[in-house]
Amino acid sequence: MIDARKIEKLRKIVGKENVLESVEQMVAYSYDATNIWSHLPDVVVFPTKTEEISEILKFANENGIPVTPRGGGTNVSGGSIPIKGGIILCTTKMGRIIEISKTNLNATVEPGVVLQDFQEALAREGLFFPPDPQSFAGCTMGGVIAENSGGPSCLKYGVAKQYVLGLEVVLADGRVMKLGGLTPKNRTGYELIMLFTGSEGTLGVISKITLRLLPAPRASKTIVAVFSDVAVAGETVTAIIASSVLPSKVEFLDSWTFEKLRGLLPDYVLDISQVVLLIQVDGLPQTVDAETQQILDICKQWAREVRVAADADEAEKYWQARGAHFSDIHSRAHTIVNEDVSVPRDKIADFIRLGRESAKRHDVPISFAGHVGDGNFHPAVLTDSRDKEHYQRALKCVDEIIDIALNLGGVLSGEHGIGLEKQRFLKKAMDPLAIETMKKIKDILDPNHILNPGKIWEESKE
Amino acid sequence: MKTTPVYEQIEKFKSDLDTCTKCGFCMSACPVYQEEKVESSVARGKIMLIRSLLSGELEVTDELAEQLNRCTLCMTCAQNCPAGTHVPSVITAARADKVKRKGVPFPYNFIFRWLLPRRRLFGWVVRFVSWFQGVFMPKTEGTIRHLSFFLAALGKGRHIPQIAPKFLRQSVPEVNKPPAGTPVTCTVGYFTGCMTDFVFPELGKKIIKFLNNNGVEVIVPRGQGCCGAPVFLGTGDFDTGRKMADANVKAFQDLDYVITDCATCASAMKDYVKFLADNEERKQEYTEFEAKIKDITEFLVDVLKLSPSAYKVAPEFKGKTVTFHEPCHLGRYLGVKEQPRQILNSLKDIKYMEMPDADRCCGMAGTFSINYYELSKKIADKKAASIRSTDADVVVTDCPGCQIQLIDTAKRNGMPQQVLHIMELFE
Repeated sequence: MIDARKIEKLRKIVGKENVLESVEQMVAYSYDATNIWSHLPDVVVFPTKTEEISEILKFANENGIPVTPRGGGTNVSGGSIPIKGGIILCTTKMGRIIEISKTNLNATVEPGVVLQDFQEALAREGLFFPPDPQSFAGCTMGGVIAENSGGPSCLKYGVAKQYVLGLEVVLADGRVMKLGGLTPKNRTGYELIMLFTGSEGTLGVISKITLRLLPAPRASKTIVAVFSDVAVAGETVTAIIASSVLPSKVEFLDSWTFEKLRGLLPDYVLDISQVVLLIQVDGLPQTVDAETQQILDICKQWAREVRVAADADEAEKYWQARGAHFSDIHSRAHTIVNEDVSVPRDKIADFIRLGRESAKRHDVPISFAGHVGDGNFHPAVLTDSRDKEHYQRALKCVDEIIDIALNLGGVLSGEHGIGLEKQRFLKKAMDPLAIETMKKIKDILDPNHILNPGKIWEESKE
Repeated sequence: MKTTPVYEQIEKFKSDLDTCTKCGFCMSACPVYQEEKVESSVARGKIMLIRSLLSGELEVTDELAEQLNRCTLCMTCAQNCPAGTHVPSVITAARADKVKRKGVPFPYNFIFRWLLPRRRLFGWVVRFVSWFQGVFMPKTEGTIRHLSFFLAALGKGRHIPQIAPKFLRQSVPEVNKPPAGTPVTCTVGYFTGCMTDFVFPELGKKIIKFLNNNGVEVIVPRGQGCCGAPVFLGTGDFDTGRKMADANVKAFQDLDYVITDCATCASAMKDYVKFLADNEERKQEYTEFEAKIKDITEFLVDVLKLSPSAYKVAPEFKGKTVTFHEPCHLGRYLGVKEQPRQILNSLKDIKYMEMPDADRCCGMAGTFSINYYELSKKIADKKAASIRSTDADVVVTDCPGCQIQLIDTAKRNGMPQQVLHIMELFE
């Protein structure tokens, strides 16, 4: 617990309007978008500038108070849950877009800018920042970088870390470190920026971000293909990419989400199908037309139904159905264990087949959806943590699915990060020497382990 | 032994409470969260607070009541929710359970329980206060707040409404027939609402005249009172709300249509059945009542199906550029989005310009704007920016509550726009 004197000190740093401590407010900062993790913080502080973050961390470091950095809190890893109590350092009030430069194709933002607001501001300038996690409506830029966010567009455009040109980071002891710069090329020293992209708030607090931008694609088209068989859908994706077309998105929806597609696709097709692929191509209009035709030709060989969205409005409806998948699945069971494995593209069909067999063995419902184009899946097991026996079966199934992905040459987390949710799998998914190296880096940057303690790796039990 | 508390009203909306997955889609749209950036402001946070009430982790404290009140019920969260969680219903229910435990604070208890249900007495009090308006307060035209809680505002040094010299009900008869020679095509009841009755009686007269000229006989039942929105939606006083609902249902029992010029009144009255029906008899009465309620633009477009020539723009607005603020209660609650725009687009004598984010909440939200006036102003200032971007001369809306907020906003921001009810555009 943090005593009143310490809270008073925090009030001095950020002003009393930027400190919350009532139990009601603590409840509102005890969760993220996962559904089994929660823990109350002792206090929530909202810095409004880098100097304030610096003072908060210096004070917390001197007093050994845990600090959990948090933005929108939309993550699905347990990463922003203050599992050891202490301070929630919430960056949502640092929400300025400092600069958008069309000539330099870069932008500088504060960590609390909401991704959707940023993307809208860029769109007005004809610019584009590709990472598009499905939490775009609430997630903030600090989190996008610290979690190294992905999303559907990453198939063609890559993940968040590929867009970071410069960072300002406040270290655990309060010192402010500037990394990188404004230019797309920069070969000065170690790539320290990469320590912080994906650091999940355990190494420092990101206080300013400079990002590389792209010109917005002039045109895009959405192709919808419905398949009777999962494996065939997987092979179709492989065939599309093998034909030298790189769509911007290839998303996979299984029959759990078909309700959202009713009215958009004929019922008689959905009733007897297993998978819908949503494919988007973008670029210059003539390229988009040619690539759309090429994809149509491939899909028609195997799909039960193929169509191209007539206009942006129709396309948006399909993408909304995809966007609603997460909450759609979550509304169907008390507890969802949602995984985030990524497998090599040519192993997609094997992965789904083996995953389904595992779910059948353990007699638990499972839904597969995800960014199939880059092999990043979100298998979700539907269970109820109050029903111990069912929940245990669900966890066993999830264990197996992770083993299946790893055995196929895949990884534990494609884009959500480890946080609390996946730390029990870390040892089998990462080289022990790599884990040891991470811990050493942590010791250098945060020797008192105040920053987001209890995350990524399991703490030794002694 | 720990007992799990019972929250009767919240339990009715348990399915809404359960479907929220905390995904955060509500964050992009919530006007309160946009200003405050604090989790307890947004739908997801409020859902978690209410879940904690049910689990017994939290109790009804002043702080919790504060967080329940800090919502405009604009419904944008529900519109954006992929899980279909209707958060405004849960919040309204939680407000009611809060009132059951804590009661209604002064002076709202006095106003809601004694004044609002007594229309004539309320009218007298309004009149009495209006005589002293210039004594106690600056009598500034434009800076007026929602009438039904203006007494509460009195104690806080705010401006009070510019009360009309003569109320609508004193100015028009109960039965208003079309002029001689115009055949009667149908008869409707007109629900005037507090605002039109006490503050904008000229709007009421204009609507009656417009309907009469188009062959509609207009009854203004004397038994009608306040719709109850600030009482049962804003404050959670369901017992008083039920009395008001019963009075209104009775006042209109012999009529087929209940026409309103206030989207809030219309949607509150449609919500009687959802929140206030405590037995089968009321459920049936409220359901029948709900079906009769029509917003004025909805009635003109969907029921009367008037031709464009029926809408004669008053001379002072000819050649003006007009924009439209869509009230939350009109668009999201009643689903009336196209009808006012259809009317505006059909007018040859004005230029209609749609403003960006026309359906964004103006921040009025009745009781909310009294409790959180500073916050309400910040939300309104975003609307001001939208209005400015259109270069319109006139802003019209379809809710006198929004109208008051927009007048206040325009005045505070030194904007030239005139703010009117859509029906005020016509002769």
